[in-house]
Amino acid sequence: MLFRILKNSFLKRPKAVVLVFISIAMGAAVATAFLGIAGEVSHKMALELRSYGANILLEPAAVEGGGYLRETDLPKIKTVFWKYNITGFAPYLFGVADLSANGKKERAVVSGTWFAKQLEVPGEEASVQGIRGIAPWWEVNGRWPEGPDEAVVGASLAKRLNVGLGSEVGATVRGRAARFRVAGVVTTGGFEEEQLFAPLVTVQDFLGKPGQVSRVLVSALTVPMDDFGRKDPNSMSKDEYEKWYCTAYVTSVAKNVEEVMAGSRAKPIWQIASAEGALLKKLNAVMLLLTVLALGASASAVSTSLMASMAERSSEIALMKAMGADRFQVAAIFLGEVLIVSTAGGFFGYLAGNQLAALISHSVFNSAIASPLWLFPTAIVSAFLVALAGSVAPLRRALNIEAVRVLKG
Amino acid sequence: MTVPTIQTAGLTKGYGDICALKPLDLQVAEGEWLSVMGHSGSGKSTLMNLVGGLDRPSGGSLSVGGQDLSALSEDGLARFRREFVGIIFQQHHLVPYLSAVENVMLSQYFHSVPDEAEARLALERVGLGHRLKNRPGELSGGEQQRVCIARAIINSPKLLLGDEPTGNLDHKSTVMVLELLKELRAEDRFTVVLVTHNEEVAAWGDRTIYLDDGVLVREERLRS
Repeated sequence: MLFRILKNSFLKRPKAVVLVFISIAMGAAVATAFLGIAGEVSHKMALELRSYGANILLEPAAVEGGGYLRETDLPKIKTVFWKYNITGFAPYLFGVADLSANGKKERAVVSGTWFAKQLEVPGEEASVQGIRGIAPWWEVNGRWPEGPDEAVVGASLAKRLNVGLGSEVGATVRGRAARFRVAGVVTTGGFEEEQLFAPLVTVQDFLGKPGQVSRVLVSALTVPMDDFGRKDPNSMSKDEYEKWYCTAYVTSVAKNVEEVMAGSRAKPIWQIASAEGALLKKLNAVMLLLTVLALGASASAVSTSLMASMAERSSEIALMKAMGADRFQVAAIFLGEVLIVSTAGGFFGYLAGNQLAALISHSVFNSAIASPLWLFPTAIVSAFLVALAGSVAPLRRALNIEAVRVLKG
Repeated sequence: MTVPTIQTAGLTKGYGDICALKPLDLQVAEGEWLSVMGHSGSGKSTLMNLVGGLDRPSGGSLSVGGQDLSALSEDGLARFRREFVGIIFQQHHLVPYLSAVENVMLSQYFHSVPDEAEARLALERVGLGHRLKNRPGELSGGEQQRVCIARAIINSPKLLLGDEPTGNLDHKSTVMVLELLKELRAEDRFTVVLVTHNEEVAAWGDRTIYLDDGVLVREERLRS
């Protein structure tokens, strides 16, 4: 009987039903689209934010001045559990040397590094690692070094040494000497402008530290830190540790990298990690807020439509009450209708939302988007919630209808 | 002596400052047909609403079928209405998008379990066996009122209430409806309380009470 009532109610009042359906479908579509692209937006934003610089610092675990990391361990970074989250890394070997050029002398830091090294790791995809990947904001006047005796000089240092493109810089340290041809002058806005950067292997020879590395900067995609992520892993239970390890917190990725680099200690660079985390959190909050607002607007539209429908049906409801329908029975009919419309609205909203998400992803990020499986039940549940929220006031009105007053009129 | 189906003592109903029903003492025996007469605003519909559990008294006591209606909750009154009362309205109040048989089944749905065969039988009893699938808009006024009667009796109520049930019908249909009510009452032995303006309609009952400005001013027994 309930089915007959619902069926006939739908067929006889198509306009009211269609209005509610559209309201619910629109809410579900917007929720689907926003939630669908939220992951994509976060991912793209995280990638963009990687241009802030590395967020993990690997340095020797040994106390001050003593230790070095092994260059031969570096490829292992691309084999760790979180290897797909590691977007780049660059090793550095530092040494203070006496530099001279054009009759001027300066004591400065000589850094050996990878600029853009083709890295082949057995069983893994080939990749290019080095400064160019992890510090894309560096501005090079000239070009990056290509030969073993080429270098880029920080802008401040270049000014003091009065060197430019093609100039030669002599370097000596503890009786060792090297000569570098300036391929470019680099502006970074930071302390790097006081340094000279040359290929790692050249600097290793120059400093007499073959195969050694002072530190490694790692750039990794991570999730914003939360209270759990900030917990000390040493105090975690086994299950907690597993959960922590399998979540891409900057701390867990750092730990992951540390494990493959012998004698290393990995530390998050908090100013970068925190800024990224805060930004991503805000972005997610905005997306969530927009979704909630869209659902709220939808619920409001549903409520308005149902209120209008309720006014039309007040005598019908009054009659039902006069015949002995209790509140539960009246609510069952009312909510039964809403449930059916919201299921259909949720389904169509999901389909439309997917298309909308694909359109947004294509036009904003120029990439396709894969709809996650959880989005379908989420769309349906959103539709139910919208329908239920929109039904509260009309249902209350229906339950408060006084049969005597309505039927008398 | 038969047990009264309806028993009131000092029953009153007010709406704000307006007293629609002044203290009323009334007994209606089981199986009796009581006609309630009075002009507009005399309190007859108010009385019917109170007796049918559609409204709550302001004062006094009201017992119907042994139940103290003023003590029942909202859901308790709803249960009372579906289990004890059948109501026929002047304006029919049929659900426009349901067929005749579905309108009857609706009453079954709220009472217990819809049974189409039983609903058909009820419509056949009121002479509408050939109009089962028609919607209210496709039926004449008299036919719609007969659907209302079928809907009112489908759950075998102990009390049948009619609020001007023939008010919108022509003379021929009026007689037909009243004849029908008489037959059904004879078969099912329910009590009838029928509110009307019309002396001729009231004369079909066993007793008529006259209300004026909420006061029972006259009572006339027509048959025992």
